[in-house]
Amino acid sequence: MQKKLIIALIAAIVVIAVVVAGWQLTQLPSPEARSIKIGLVACYEKAEGQDMDRAAKLAVKEINDAGGVYVAEWHTSVQIELVIADTEDDTPGKAVGPVTRAVTEDQVDLLIGGYTSAGTLADEVVAIDERVPYIITGASTSLVTRRGPQANYGGLPEGDPLRIDDEEGMSYVFHYCTTTADYSKTVVNFFAETMKPLLDSTYEFDASRKLRLAILYRDDAFGKGVAADSKSIIENNNLPIDVVAERSYPTTATSFQTDLTAIKAAKPDAVYVVDFIANTAEIIKEGQRDVGLNTVYIAVECCEDPAYYTLLGEYGDKQLLESKFAPYAGPPFYLETIETYVTNYQQEYDTLPGMMGADTYDAFYIAKDAIERAGTVDKAAVRDAIESCAIDQMLIITETGKIEFSVGTDYHEIAPVTFVEQLIWNEDVGECRSKIVYPATAPGVGELKQADFVLPTAYEPGSP
Amino acid sequence: MNRSLVNSLGSIKRELVNFSHSQKFYFVLVAMAIVAIVPLFVRSDYVIGEVLTPMIIFAIYASSWNLLASSGQASLGHAAFLGIGGFASALLAIKLGLPPLIGLFLGSILSAAIGLLIGLACVRLKAWFLAMVTFGFSVIIVTLISQFDSVMGGIMGFPTPLLVPRGVPFYYMTFGFAAISILIMYLVMKSKIGLTFRAIHQNELEAKMIGINTGKYRLIAFVLSTFFAGLAGGLYAQSIRYIQVSIFDPYYSFLPLMMAVIGGLGTIEGPIIGSAIIVSIESYLPRIDPVLQGFLHPLFPSVSNVGPPLRMLGLGLFLVVVVIFAPKGVAPLIKKAYNYLRSSTSEEKT
Amino acid sequence: MITTSGLIETLLWGVANGCIYILLATGLNIIFGVMKLVNFAHGQLLMIGAYIAFAAATALGLNAYIAILVAMGLVALIGVGLERFTFRKVLGTEKLNEIFVSLGLIYVFENVAVLLWGNRSQQIASPFQGLQLSLGEVSIGYDRLLAISVVIVILIALFLLLKKTKIGLAMRATSQKSTASMLMGVNIEKVYIFTFALGAALAGAAGALYGIIFPFNPSIGALPTIKAFAIIILGGLGSIPGAVIGGLLYGIAENTAVYFLGGIWQDAIAFALLIIVLVIRPTGIFGEKGE
Repeated sequence: MQKKLIIALIAAIVVIAVVVAGWQLTQLPSPEARSIKIGLVACYEKAEGQDMDRAAKLAVKEINDAGGVYVAEWHTSVQIELVIADTEDDTPGKAVGPVTRAVTEDQVDLLIGGYTSAGTLADEVVAIDERVPYIITGASTSLVTRRGPQANYGGLPEGDPLRIDDEEGMSYVFHYCTTTADYSKTVVNFFAETMKPLLDSTYEFDASRKLRLAILYRDDAFGKGVAADSKSIIENNNLPIDVVAERSYPTTATSFQTDLTAIKAAKPDAVYVVDFIANTAEIIKEGQRDVGLNTVYIAVECCEDPAYYTLLGEYGDKQLLESKFAPYAGPPFYLETIETYVTNYQQEYDTLPGMMGADTYDAFYIAKDAIERAGTVDKAAVRDAIESCAIDQMLIITETGKIEFSVGTDYHEIAPVTFVEQLIWNEDVGECRSKIVYPATAPGVGELKQADFVLPTAYEPGSP
Repeated sequence: MNRSLVNSLGSIKRELVNFSHSQKFYFVLVAMAIVAIVPLFVRSDYVIGEVLTPMIIFAIYASSWNLLASSGQASLGHAAFLGIGGFASALLAIKLGLPPLIGLFLGSILSAAIGLLIGLACVRLKAWFLAMVTFGFSVIIVTLISQFDSVMGGIMGFPTPLLVPRGVPFYYMTFGFAAISILIMYLVMKSKIGLTFRAIHQNELEAKMIGINTGKYRLIAFVLSTFFAGLAGGLYAQSIRYIQVSIFDPYYSFLPLMMAVIGGLGTIEGPIIGSAIIVSIESYLPRIDPVLQGFLHPLFPSVSNVGPPLRMLGLGLFLVVVVIFAPKGVAPLIKKAYNYLRSSTSEEKT
Repeated sequence: MITTSGLIETLLWGVANGCIYILLATGLNIIFGVMKLVNFAHGQLLMIGAYIAFAAATALGLNAYIAILVAMGLVALIGVGLERFTFRKVLGTEKLNEIFVSLGLIYVFENVAVLLWGNRSQQIASPFQGLQLSLGEVSIGYDRLLAISVVIVILIALFLLLKKTKIGLAMRATSQKSTASMLMGVNIEKVYIFTFALGAALAGAAGALYGIIFPFNPSIGALPTIKAFAIIILGGLGSIPGAVIGGLLYGIAENTAVYFLGGIWQDAIAFALLIIVLVIRPTGIFGEKGE
């Protein structure tokens, strides 16, 4: 009897040991485990591309230092390896090659980045054809995700070559960025809701007087897109704004006095400047210093970068900037994640972050979350996971407080909240710093407005 | 005039016959065979599509520039014709629904027609003026296409329809076009027409004095050159599957010049070798960018990626050095090396 | 909308811009006149001049206008180097080699500038920044007025150099007939070096002035070269008075065109002008001097 008990006991122990060992074996890191390769598509020729590079490296460092990304399929956490696809000046001819190499040679699991509209429309085709998830953090045109059947081809007419019929392929592209319609909407609404009432009360204008807007833009897809979107939003919503002047200049221009003089003759209340950092700063300086166009200028969000504040100097005082990420509007910041990011970025790179990098930084965390929820690096599964992303907003405020990609006709876009900041000269720092002046609140953040909009000191309204 | 045209065509036919009996012919045949079987050994899609195919396309483009330069006309705006060919072939295929092959030919013909107009403007110009005018044309054409953006869509650009599937089929198609194009250009250059080009190049005044109608031949050079540049443009637009105004950038005007001069100006193998060298540099050198950045960042703190400017600087220096020290380009050096090897091996045999 | 004051300001700016172009065109003209050499990288010397002036102003704290002299001196040295090590080697060889060498040099200069200073726009801080001279509704910045004055001074100095000094005489002799001057004992090599240095110095001065008035970056050299050519063709290759008149006319035309037609035509104007003139008269409006 005792012998049988002992044998049974030993058998039981052996069985349990085998079972436990077997279970343990399945929990060992799979021999297939390897680092996750993420391709960064950035144009290093531009300051914005360099900001994206720094933001990406910061995100990768943070994620890797915290243990990496857990891939259930391999039972282990792995590190992220950054693969750089430098598109130089991001023209289609230069963008397609590096992205192709990243996808076919380096075999990246995922792509993040993109800068110009044309370059991204060209290089995303590689990701679409090869079925590689691509989180586009640049490109101001909504066509990058709307050119396929899911978004009804973005309104492109039948036969238009930009249309893509590959529904499966289009599902791999995501647009984590604002579009020209997003910026224009905020800007014209600001003018209608905040600036016009202030003008009316300050100068005792009749309420029926429309605000006089001048648009000065660079002559390429970006500038034309914003100008066109602004006008159509004004028209479609019957906003009390008149576009009294519209001037464009070649992308190679570095001096704008003549255009500014012509705008001055049109007597605007405000000027919407659509260009990148260097030119916008120059326009605002020349306008005030050389032409005597003492109005209020509003810049587009891509100017949200340390270089802009440095170039502007004192001429930025009381000028406006439409933005979606405001590292200069604090501390205290409207979102805690911004405080953390700005601090870490400054510590790492001894400079403040810019806007392009913010989208890129978030995208890495979106990717991490997606891979972890998918449990695999299988691209189709990761794509599905990105589509069902619901993490809390990070550096970009969204309308719902969460990062969510739509599956409607605004296919694979997020619903960002953009705002208007006013720059105020700060004697101690020797540069301007900003405060958000519109809108008053945002979901997921609550109170957004930090200060009231005031007219610049030497402001002259347009002709009544 | 008809008689001289017939003479010229006859001389081309004679050249073709001569060539087919020459030693060079077999050499070329071997080279072509190698190019043809490369895809069997190279499995990488990237290398075939983004390195080898562009090498072939730019060989056509550089040869077209070379042909024009052999008549003493150095164009600094050849990108205009690359782009015209690209836009025309893509738009004709898309808007008029023409088969891409027809689109490609019509695009080249349109490029040649515009080349004729520009050639007419340049007929009496000296080299420097012609260079400026051609460069100016490449700038103006961007402005023009931007003004007609609603019809041409050049500012945002658009994808191009393909003749054949990407990858290996496209490689062979491009190879086919290149073989025919370069053969034609070779025959022209070897014929009396080519001789006339060279005579005009050497000394236009003397050429005129012996009765050559320099204007006519300069125009012929322009038309032929821009035809093939347009063809290269149509092929290039298909290879990157997109066309946009950036194709008119000065970079694309300087490329064929660099390729032809570095490879060997005036020779037929020069532009091909130059294309191979420069496309290789632009495709593979970027890989060491992170390494370069690591080493050189302390020296050049204002730059985030030292790779591209160093590379362009290198190309510029390369061009200057070749022009000063090896004005006949790299091709003759390779020939010398080849001859040296041949002679040393044959010495061994004896 | 067109206003008189706007138009006058546009004209004044045209004159100021034109003065910078005059310096550049004159430099190019002198080099062509004496050496029969065309340097397409001339605009890059302007760009380097701007950067040198900028470096002198920021690193050494020099006044922007003193920095002009530093720029002139250093760019002249660079010019000497260019002449000795590159252009001299190709003078007399295959005609197109000058064009090829210039092109290579364009890439060299631009990328050296990118490596040393980065891609970002810079501007030379002037002590007169923002100060304007107002006459009624029309105002013009002091910097622009100073630019015009500096150019006038330089042109007078140049005139004196060419007419009154030995080297000036040698240069003029060489530009007429270089074989004859060699027979008369003129050291052609020395003349060439000096000429190139002078042309480069003028480009450097143009660059320093440009850098005070406009923001600049490594790629601003290309367009001014074209404009300088357009001016030379307008005024006649080899003719300095022609370059002066041509420069003024060009500056005014460019600015006025932008005012009326919009900024898009800013660059195309130079080329359109160039092509039209060349098609009608391949030797330029005033014809060529010496061949």
